[in-house]
Amino acid sequence: MDTHFIYRRIHSLTGIIPVGLFLIYHLYIQLYLHSGAEVYNEEVNSFYDSPLALWILVLVVYIPLIFHSVFGALITFEAQVQPSYHYFAHLLYWLQRLSGIGVLFFIIAHVWNAQLGPLVADTWGTHWEHLAEGFSDPETGLVTKTVYVLGILGATFHFANGINTFSITWGVALTPKSQQRMRVISIITFLVLTISALYALAAIW
Amino acid sequence: MSRMLKFKIKRQDSKESSPYWEDFTVPYKANSNVISCLMDIQANPLNSKGEKVSPVVWDCSCLEEVCGSCTMVINGEVRQSCSALVDKLEEPIRLEPMSKFPVIRDLAVDRSRMFEALKKVQAWVPADGYHDLGPGERISPEHQHVAYKLSECMTCGCCVEACPQYSKNNDFLGAAAMNQARLFNMHPTGKSLRKDRLDVLMQAGGISDCGNAQNCVEACPKSIPLTESIADLGKQASKQFWNNLFSS
Ligand code: HEM
Ligand code: SF4
Ligand code: SF4
Ligand code: FES
Repeated sequence: MDTHFIYRRIHSLTGIIPVGLFLIYHLYIQLYLHSGAEVYNEEVNSFYDSPLALWILVLVVYIPLIFHSVFGALITFEAQVQPSYHYFAHLLYWLQRLSGIGVLFFIIAHVWNAQLGPLVADTWGTHWEHLAEGFSDPETGLVTKTVYVLGILGATFHFANGINTFSITWGVALTPKSQQRMRVISIITFLVLTISALYALAAIW
Repeated sequence: MSRMLKFKIKRQDSKESSPYWEDFTVPYKANSNVISCLMDIQANPLNSKGEKVSPVVWDCSCLEEVCGSCTMVINGEVRQSCSALVDKLEEPIRLEPMSKFPVIRDLAVDRSRMFEALKKVQAWVPADGYHDLGPGERISPEHQHVAYKLSECMTCGCCVEACPQYSKNNDFLGAAAMNQARLFNMHPTGKSLRKDRLDVLMQAGGISDCGNAQNCVEACPKSIPLTESIADLGKQASKQFWNNLFSS
């Protein structure tokens, strides 16, 4: 057992715990967009009010996410393009890598747009404002909306397909039958997360 | 005039020289396969322009898809040339050597890396010496059912040729060797080397280099359940990982 194996396993694990779990929590909170600005801000702030908020953000979200992203990008560049093999799993393999890179850019843009940018420019208002204003901006609103929809699709696909490959990596799903079941679980995860996230955004569309 | 078959062959004169494409036309014969056409070219080595060239070199042995030595990339897909019937191929038929191995000449490649990988994972039953070891353990029909399928591997190279994680500049063991590690890890006597095999599989180039593209299982001409083998080893490696962390 060497560090290579351990890194790959940590990469695989961080995709589900904690980054994947955070994704689920994060998309769930967005459903409060339907309850109006006040409730939404309250729900989001209830997390930031916790004395552990900064610790949780750094230890549970940022460090694992940065590790997963950097290592994921390294893995992506190790791969060799094999254009003549048109198998479905092979397509998923490339989509997993493409969506990973796409999500990486999206997360950077998203964190800047919804949090860091306003903080740096000292124009911080409320969470609701930064999100809703970005969406309703007459000039850049459409671009922002498109980027968010693509970012959501990328993240939900990546996480859902990741559940499937995770179960092979760790030997959770052994037989073709159990792998088929995992595929069903990952499709359901993809649909539920995507629909719920898009429904949340509909509140401020 | 009888029907002619068009071939486009990627040739390479020596290990060091650069590859080039050459066209050939071969008289069509019913039920011929790629190897029988290569034999025709060998008997009459003229390219499409009618120039006399050195005969095309390839590898083969069994001619019935059990030895694996005739593997090459035919119309972009890796497969055995002995079982590639020309009637089912689109023309011009493009023949290339496998891209993941050093070319010896033309279509013949050196698959040593695969055999080295089998050595690394000790893909054998350790039963050295002359003394009587007594009867082997009984093997249940269920065990045999699984093991027989895994044992059909002919080290042909299709799985690694199709694999996006296996390349000339890394040292990934590849699906075939991993599958053999699983086979011998489940054998009642082969089991004794289980830990050694897992140690190798848990190093760089081992199981964690697999990216779950599952091209291997699609490309395998023997329909070996390679993804199942990889998941099974993933589980064995997970257990070993746990043991290494907390019980050793
Ligand atoms: C929303 C954030 C993210 C989540 C929830 C997430 C989740 C996951 C999960 C669950 C896996 C499966 C692990 C396995 O197959 O064992 C995975 C794999 C992967 N992730 Fe992410 N990921 C995220 C962001 C990223 C980013 C930003 C990148 C960077 C490019 C990335 C690159 C990869 C790659 C390349 C794999 C495939 C690894 C392999 O098959 O060996 N991911 N991810
Ligand atoms: S596993 Fe299948 S494709 Fe790979 S070498 Fe063996 S027979 Fe060939
Ligand atoms: S699953 Fe994909 S990456 Fe893994 S050995 Fe097979 S082809 Fe290669
Ligand atoms: S010659 Fe043996 S497999 Fe084709």
